Parts: sequence; structure tokens; C-alpha cells
Amino acid sequence: MENPASTSISSPSTPRWNLERPFLTGRFHQEAKTTSRFAELKLDCFSNGGLEKAIGCYDAAIQELIVIDDLLSAMLGIEGRYISIKRVHGKENEVSFQVEASMDLTLQELAKRIFPLCESFLFINQFVESRSQFKKGLVNHAFAAALRALLLDYQAMVAQLEHQFRLGRLSIQGLWFYCQPMMGSMQALFSVTRTVSANDIAGSAVLNLLQSQAKAMAGDNAVRSLLEKMTQCASNAYLGILERWVYEGVIDDPYGEFFIEENKSLRKESLNQDYDTKYWRQRYSLKEGIPTFLANIAGMILTTGKYLNVMRECGHNVQLPASENSKLMSFGSNHQYLECIKAAYDFSSSELLKLIKEKYDLMGKLRSIKHYLLLDQGDFLVHFMDIARDELSKKPDEISVEKLQSLLDVALRTTAAAADPCHEDLTCCVERMSLPKSLRTLKDLVDSKTLPDIIDQEEPMGITGLEAFSLSYKVRWPLSIVISWKSLSKYQLIFRFLFHCKHVERQLCWAWQVHQGVRSLNIHGTSISRSSLLCRAMLKFINSLLHYLTFEVLEPNWHVMHTRIQTAKSIDEVIQHHDFFLDKCLRECLLLLPQLLKKVERLKLLCLQYAAATQWLISSSIDLCKSDETSDGLNGTTPKGAKLTTSNSAVTESILKFEKEFNYELQSLGPILSKSSQAEPYLTHLAQWILGIEMTNRF
Amino acid sequence: MPREIITLQVGQCGNQIGMEFWKQLCLEHGISKEGILEDFATQGGDRKDVFFYQADDQHYIPRALLIDLEPRVINGIQNSEYRNLYNHENIFVSDHGGGAGNNWASGYHQGKGVEEDIMDMIDREADGSDSLEGFVLCHSIAGGTGSGMGSYLLETLNDRYSKKLVQTYSVFPNQMETSDVVVQPYNSLLTLKRLTLNADCVVVLDNTALNRIAVERLHLSNPTFAQTNSLVSTVMSASTTTLRYPGYMNNDLVGLLASLIPTPRCHFLMTGYTPLTVERQANVIRKTTVLDVMRRLLQTKNIMVSSYARTKEASQAKYISILNIIQGEVDPTQVHESLQRIRERKLVNFIEWGPASIQVALSRKSPYVQTAHRVSGLMLASHTSIRHLFSKCLSQYEKLRKKQAFLDNYRKFPMFADNDLSEFDESRDIIESLVDEYKACESPDYIKWGMEDPDQILTGDGNASGTADPSLAV
Repeated sequence: MENPASTSISSPSTPRWNLERPFLTGRFHQEAKTTSRFAELKLDCFSNGGLEKAIGCYDAAIQELIVIDDLLSAMLGIEGRYISIKRVHGKENEVSFQVEASMDLTLQELAKRIFPLCESFLFINQFVESRSQFKKGLVNHAFAAALRALLLDYQAMVAQLEHQFRLGRLSIQGLWFYCQPMMGSMQALFSVTRTVSANDIAGSAVLNLLQSQAKAMAGDNAVRSLLEKMTQCASNAYLGILERWVYEGVIDDPYGEFFIEENKSLRKESLNQDYDTKYWRQRYSLKEGIPTFLANIAGMILTTGKYLNVMRECGHNVQLPASENSKLMSFGSNHQYLECIKAAYDFSSSELLKLIKEKYDLMGKLRSIKHYLLLDQGDFLVHFMDIARDELSKKPDEISVEKLQSLLDVALRTTAAAADPCHEDLTCCVERMSLPKSLRTLKDLVDSKTLPDIIDQEEPMGITGLEAFSLSYKVRWPLSIVISWKSLSKYQLIFRFLFHCKHVERQLCWAWQVHQGVRSLNIHGTSISRSSLLCRAMLKFINSLLHYLTFEVLEPNWHVMHTRIQTAKSIDEVIQHHDFFLDKCLRECLLLLPQLLKKVERLKLLCLQYAAATQWLISSSIDLCKSDETSDGLNGTTPKGAKLTTSNSAVTESILKFEKEFNYELQSLGPILSKSSQAEPYLTHLAQWILGIEMTNRF
Repeated sequence: MPREIITLQVGQCGNQIGMEFWKQLCLEHGISKEGILEDFATQGGDRKDVFFYQADDQHYIPRALLIDLEPRVINGIQNSEYRNLYNHENIFVSDHGGGAGNNWASGYHQGKGVEEDIMDMIDREADGSDSLEGFVLCHSIAGGTGSGMGSYLLETLNDRYSKKLVQTYSVFPNQMETSDVVVQPYNSLLTLKRLTLNADCVVVLDNTALNRIAVERLHLSNPTFAQTNSLVSTVMSASTTTLRYPGYMNNDLVGLLASLIPTPRCHFLMTGYTPLTVERQANVIRKTTVLDVMRRLLQTKNIMVSSYARTKEASQAKYISILNIIQGEVDPTQVHESLQRIRERKLVNFIEWGPASIQVALSRKSPYVQTAHRVSGLMLASHTSIRHLFSKCLSQYEKLRKKQAFLDNYRKFPMFADNDLSEFDESRDIIESLVDEYKACESPDYIKWGMEDPDQILTGDGNASGTADPSLAV
């Protein structure tokens, strides 16, 4: 056993009596000889100088009878009078048969031809015994058992030959003749067993060896079928393990022969914190030594049992519908076993999918996440931003997350979200980094092209709750397989971007309302009128951006993902579609395009600065209006003094400055967008929305 | 209950369309005529609380005030099957029940007289809401109560709830037929002044166009008030869908309006709706894709404001902003395609002085109302051609005023006492400047309209205080 897992596998020890009595094999004769020099010596004296005469003394006919008798013994590994068994020096397991030199040469030749059979028998017999130890593993046990059955046949044959011999009907040629069919098979088995014991292999390696031998022997029909039968017998045990895995998800593998191993240290709870979803990807894994006949579908076998295990972890009892074909009886050339595994895979994946979709309502969860993190049902946010305004304008470390959470709960309970039972899983959190910085850390984790250091600046200014606020969502097992921590953090990044855009929109709406407040004054031709148009342009920008993000990116992509998940065949497929969706959204939301993102952030900042200044801009204008009005005397009708407000150059200048800067930044987006749109075609949509221009690829 | 909206329905017309509006809302939210949630209305996700509140006994009660100076329409409502829907404390009928006699001045004056009573009702409703977003006023501008008293209410609301939004659904009189209200032009003009100065947004519902649509599009030979009113309620309910069925955007009134209204006074919106049906009428339009809907919304014949413009002027008219609220099962990928088509075929004429495009809001449809079409759409648009409607009002006023006709009715009331007709002149000036502003919007250099050479100011002596402190912005 050459795999690292072997250390962890404990096998029962062989009982002591089995070790103390090592002579259960026919090899004890030879063992005795080597262990006791004295005995050997004695035996030698006994055979040479004892009762027996040299065989050469006898008549050829007699010699033949004696040789046949000796050969029959030798075939069962017993030394005869004139045939001795010698241990080959330096090679532990090899023996050689020798005949007494005085024997008739013809007989000698014939006897020597039979010796390989005897050697094979001896070796195989010994192999059977030694491989039956617990630690050699189930495949070896099964193989040894099959060999033992074969050896029984062989012994029966020897017995029959002896019977013929007693009846006087067996000549040495006859013996040779009868042994013929056995020779090839024994020889093949001998070479297999020798390789097995020489390399001390177990498990799938044995199966692979047997199979390759059978293939190599393809020309010899009898040997091939024998080897195939051996393979089948040996693999029975293995298929038993396989069967339990693909039908029950249990690894019943006491000797570490199976090619799937479980890493028990990975817990399913880790999915909620582990960025790499190790649990899902590494809890069960393939190891070395996959039997060749399973090599192509090893992955499928792994997932089959993995899915079954997920269901078991959910406390869901799965029973494969019993059918005749569901037994993994053999892996013959008809590939029936492949069909079985395929069927088991189909069953477990569809069952798990059904479980996750129906009982655990995956789509409902995803929809709920879409409601809150992608703002598909954004009314709760309106209310939340109303009531949490003060808390959110603090610095991240001054914010009380508990307070935010309770405000969030209030907002959820009083809006459309109240009808969604999932809303209770929504929690809020306050990040420490601004969005661009968080994106950089994401980049470190996500395998992606190296990032140009374009956003490599320190935080522009201390961030507040508005930049740091984020939502989180409690995802429980088994949905955490699909909505892993990694996916969730991607959702969060999108949310934070949307949230900030919403904030900008709100501030601009507020600025708009301030303008509405001066409606009754005649603002024609004043800086207020100019300002209201700037406000409109900014609103248009942020609205268009939000439109692009939601209706051009999130909604269509979600739609596509939704349809794909509906038709997905397995949970892995679902994960893949979901991940694809998130990555696509992340990219199309500009979050992976630092250069553009920086521009957009700059524009948003301008909007915020303008919105913050609006009150001042308007009220300073109005003050002038009013003072003008009073000084102007009682004109009675509309305040005519409005025209004079333009003379407040500070106000006008500041509005024009905002306007100029905003337009400059907005226009500078054009070239960037058209340049990038060749690689990222969706940017043409963005350009249409926020710049209102058509961008055809200009070549 | 965040972002509530209180509806004020004033006068005969206001109460009629208001009534239809509430009927429609009840249907869409699965609320029975008694105000109780129907058993089948279990699907959540809608926002009933914007327009309704729940009484202790689980009744849904409209946040509505029913106000009239004569009892006929309100009595009708109180005798209808919807009588238990409304809060009876919210119904105001003047004691004498004599109405305003189609006289704006009378309505305005009476409004002043009952201000306290009505403001008590409004205050009570406002106190009952968590964060009131604003008011919606339903009225007509031609009669006496809706126009006169409505005007007074607008002024008072502006004064008292200056931070709240005021949106109106204002029915403009049918100009095609001779009205029994001869002083219609006076009333309209005086109301228009308040609509311009005291409302944040006015949704113009032109009876002329509504009639035309009923005749041409719905093939009704002689449309009744009930039928045109159902058109109005359709528009009203559709324009509030983004508030009632929350989506990605436009979940509050301010967000909805801010993106549509460019300058404080240019806040008059036109509407279009498709496909239109009246009372289970056999459906004419079957194939409704997003593109179909959007294209139809841009056709003049579907727009609920008549165009009085001459051809040359009509070609100058431009859209300032458009919001299409699309309801129903929509494949979101179609939206982009449709917009692309419309852009390619140049179906929309936008202003040139600023960015403009069709904005789209996808909204859920009520699961309780069965319709034969998959997709329906409402267009809310700010369009410069609306000025022709005002011009028409002005010219009609001028005609009447020249003759000094019927002014005695007005002189009876304090505002016009001692033959002081300056209110008329002032209103006329304001409407005229509104028309001018819309006209100016049609020119590409509107931004510089009336500005005293801004470039010179910019290059002039700078003042450091002009730059906003970045730390102000959060």
C-alpha cells in the first residue's frame, strides 16, 4: 500500500495462532529444511545414504513408475524420493525442483517439463495464504479466495491422476498430456501472483494488473477467460465498496483501497466563512489508484456519492428505487456497470436538485436575495435610508450595527418585504473599506488579470456609513453550497455600489425639491434656473446609471440565469450558472473596470457636492430676491427682482463651475467607453444611457 | 408605513375620478368593496399602505378626503356599494350644499371659509402617517368647486406642508363641445396659475382627448362620463404602480417626479396608455410586445392630451423626458431591444440642450386583475407641445375678457372686489411665461435662455467662496 492514507487505516491483526503455526501451507517442508540445518543434514543423510537406492539402479519401466509417483507428490509441493525441492538462494520466494542425476535422461527431461507447474502451484498456494491476511485488503482477499477455489480444482485433478496411476493406466507421457491444459493457466497466474507479491500491491492496483494481464493474454482464449474470471472475482469486493458509495454515499473501505477519500476535518458550517468553498470542493476527493475501468467516470462516481452525502447531511433519507439493473454485479465488456453508475448519478443529482429546489426553495432564496441585495424590490431601502440617515452619516467605527439592524428590521417589516418570510435572514454589516478598496481585495482572491494600479490611491477622505454600509444574508446548509460566502460577497459588492448610487439619487432628489420650493418666484433667466437644469442633468446621469445597472445588467442576466437553473441537471450546473451570473454582473456593473469606476465615482462625488451645496446656492439667491423685492417697492405682482440674482457672482460662478466640471467629467467618459467597448460590448449600452450617444465600432 | 400619500378629491369631477381610482386600487390589491382583504389576496409583495391604512378591525381604508360643496356625487358614493370603504370622518360636504355655481371665485372663497375644518381633516390624516410623502389632488379646472376650492387648497397645502410634494390629476375641459359652463376660460386660467405655482407635478387629463380616445380607439359612439372616468382611473392607477408594486427604481414619488420634471414650473405631464379597454370590452389589440407597447405610447392618438398645434409648430415640439411604466410579463432583454429600435427609427424627438432618453420602469401587474393582454404600458412624459393647450386656454380667456363678459359673478367675491381684476392679469402673465418657457425648451440653447451672458460672469473675478467645500458632500 503506497498511499498516504494507509497510515490512517487500521486493519485487525492476524490472530496469534495463525502466526505461531505457519505451516498451514504446503511449504512447511521447505521451511523445515531451511530453519534447521541439522534436520536438513539428517534428511540428506537419510535420502542419500539411507534406504533408498539411486534411481539409476532400477529398470527404466520401474524408474518411470517411481518418477510418476514422485511427480504427483511434487505437483502438490511434496518432496519425493528422487525429486527434491531446493530454495533458490537470494530469492526468498523461489524454489527449484531437482531430480536425481542418475535418472533416465528421457524421464528427467519429461519430469523437468512438469516442474514449472509444481513451482506455480507452490507459489500460488503460498500466495493465497499470505494474501489472506487482513491488512492485504479486500481485493487481495477476494483474489486469494478465487485462487483457492482454483487450486482445489487443481488438487482434484492431481488426485484423479493418482487414481489413474494406481490403476496402472498413467504413463509419464500421459501425465504430461493431462497436465497440458493446466500449464498455461497456472503459469499466467504464477506470473500475476509473483508481480503482486513482489510489489506488494493491493486494491485497485491488483485489479488493474489482472485486467492488463487478461488483455495481454488476449490470444490465449482459455487463459484470458480465466484471468477475466479472476478479475471479476477480485473486483467483486471492490464493486461492493463502489456500490455502497454510489447508492448510499457511504465509504465502506476498511483497508483504504477505494479511490475516494473523505476529509472529515472540513465542516459544512465552514461554507459560510470560507472564500474558496473548500468544503464543497475538497470534503470528498479522488486519490491515486483509480481502477482503469473506472478512470473515465471517476468524477461522476465522486459526485454521485457527494450528492448523496449532502442529502444525508440534510437529514433526508434517499432510497434508490430498486431495480434489477441497479446491482453493480460486474464490469464486463458490456459496460453494464457504466449504465448503472450513470443511472445512480442521474438519480442522486436529480434527487438533490429536487431537494434543494423544492424543500429548501433555492429559487425563493435567490429571489429574496435579489429583492434586497440587488434592490429588485427597493422600497425597503427608501424607508431605511429615511430612518437611518443619521446613523449612516457617521464614521464606520462610530456606527452601532445593532441600531442599524433594528432600523433595518423596522424598514423591512413596514414595506413590501414584510410578506417575504425570508426577510428575517437579512442582516446588516459595516465594512471598513470603501468599495474600490474592497474590490482590490477581491481581486487578490479572484483569479484575474493583474490589475493596473489605477485605483491605487489612499481613500479620498474618511468614509462614512454610506460608503461602508452593506447587507448580508444568512444562508443555511445546504443552500450554502450554491450561495457560498464567495457568491455572497459578490452580491454585497454589487449592493454597495447600488446603494451608493441610490444615495446620490436621493440627495439629488432632495436638491430637486429645494428647487421646487422656489417655484413661485419668477426664476426665469436666473442662476436658479441654470442650477435646476444642472440638477436635472445630474439626476439624468444617476438615473441612467441606475437604469443601466438594473435593467440592462441585473435584470436580463438574472432572467438568463433563472431559465438556465430551471433546466439544470445537477447542483454543480446550478452553481456554475449562479457563479457565471455573478461574475458577469460584477463585470458589467463596471466593478472590475477600475478606470471607468473611478470616473463614475468622481461624477457621483460631484453630484453629492452639488446636492450638499444646493441649499446654500438657492437660499443665497432667494435672500437677494427678497431684499430686492422690498427695495423695489410695491410692484405688487411677481417678484421682479429675481433678475438681479445673477449679480451675485459667487452663486452663479459656483453653479457654472459645477456645471463645467460635471460636463467635463461626463464627456470624458465618452472616449473611455468607446475605447473599452471593443473588449466589453455591453459598455455601448452604458454609453447610450448616460451619454445618449450611439457607439458603433469604429474601425 | 413609510412614504404615504394622501388623496384629496375635490368637487364633482374630482370625486368621480377619485371614486374610479379607488375602485381600481381595490381590485388590484384584492380589497373588497367593504375594505376587507379578499381570501384570494394572499400573494404579498405589494404595498397597500401607500394609499390605504388599516383600521383596528383590519379594514383597509383609503387615505382619501372626499370634499365637495354640493352633496350629489358624494351622496352617490355614500349610497353605493363602496360606502363602507371610506372613513366617514373624511367626507366633507358643505352645510348649505349649494355648490359653487361653477364659479371659481365662489369655490375659492368658500374654501377659505371652511379651511379650518378641512385642514383638521388633513392634519389628522397626516398625523396618522409615519413619513408622509405628499398629496394627490383630483379635480377639474373648469368648474367651481374643483377649480376654486382646489386652488385654495393648493395654496394652503403649499404653505402648511411646504416640505411635502403635491401632485395633481387635473381634468381639462372638453374644448370641442360647447360647455354649459360659460365661464370655463376664467376658471381654467385662475386654476392654472395655482397649478403652476403651487403644485410639484400636474398630470394633465384632457377631456377633449379622452373623448377622442373613447370614440376613436374604443369605438364608443357617445362616451359617457363613467367611461372616460375609467380611462382616468386606469392612468392614475398605472402611474402609481411603481409605488404600489416596488421594483428597482421609482419606489417613491419624489424619485418618480424628479426624473421627469426639468425645471420647477415645467411640471405638466402628459400621459398615454395602451392597450386601452373599457369595462370588459372585447379586446382589439392582441399582440403586445414591449416594442409594440412603447411604439404605441409614442403615437399621438394614444396620448391623453389633445394637440392644438399647427403642423409646423407640432414638428418643433420635443420631449423633455419620458418614463414608460411597463406592466406585465416582460422579458427584460426585450426592453433594450425596443429602446434600440425606437432610437434607430428616430421615433422620438428629444430636446437638444440636455441628455434625454426614454426611461423604463418594469412593474408587476396585479395578480388579481385578469387582462387579455400580456403587456400594458403607461407613458408619463414632459412634452413641449403642452404649451398649446395653455395657449388655447389663454386665447379663450382673452376672447371672453375682451367682452368683459360674466365678470360680475366674480366681483361679488372679496378677491375681485372693487373691480380689482389684477388676479386675472397676474394669472395671465404667469401662464404666458409658462408657455414661453416651454417654447424656449424647444430651442437648442435653452440653457442660456434669459441668462446674462454667463461666460462673462464665469471669467469675471472669481470668489473663492463659490467653490463648494468638498467636505460638505457626504
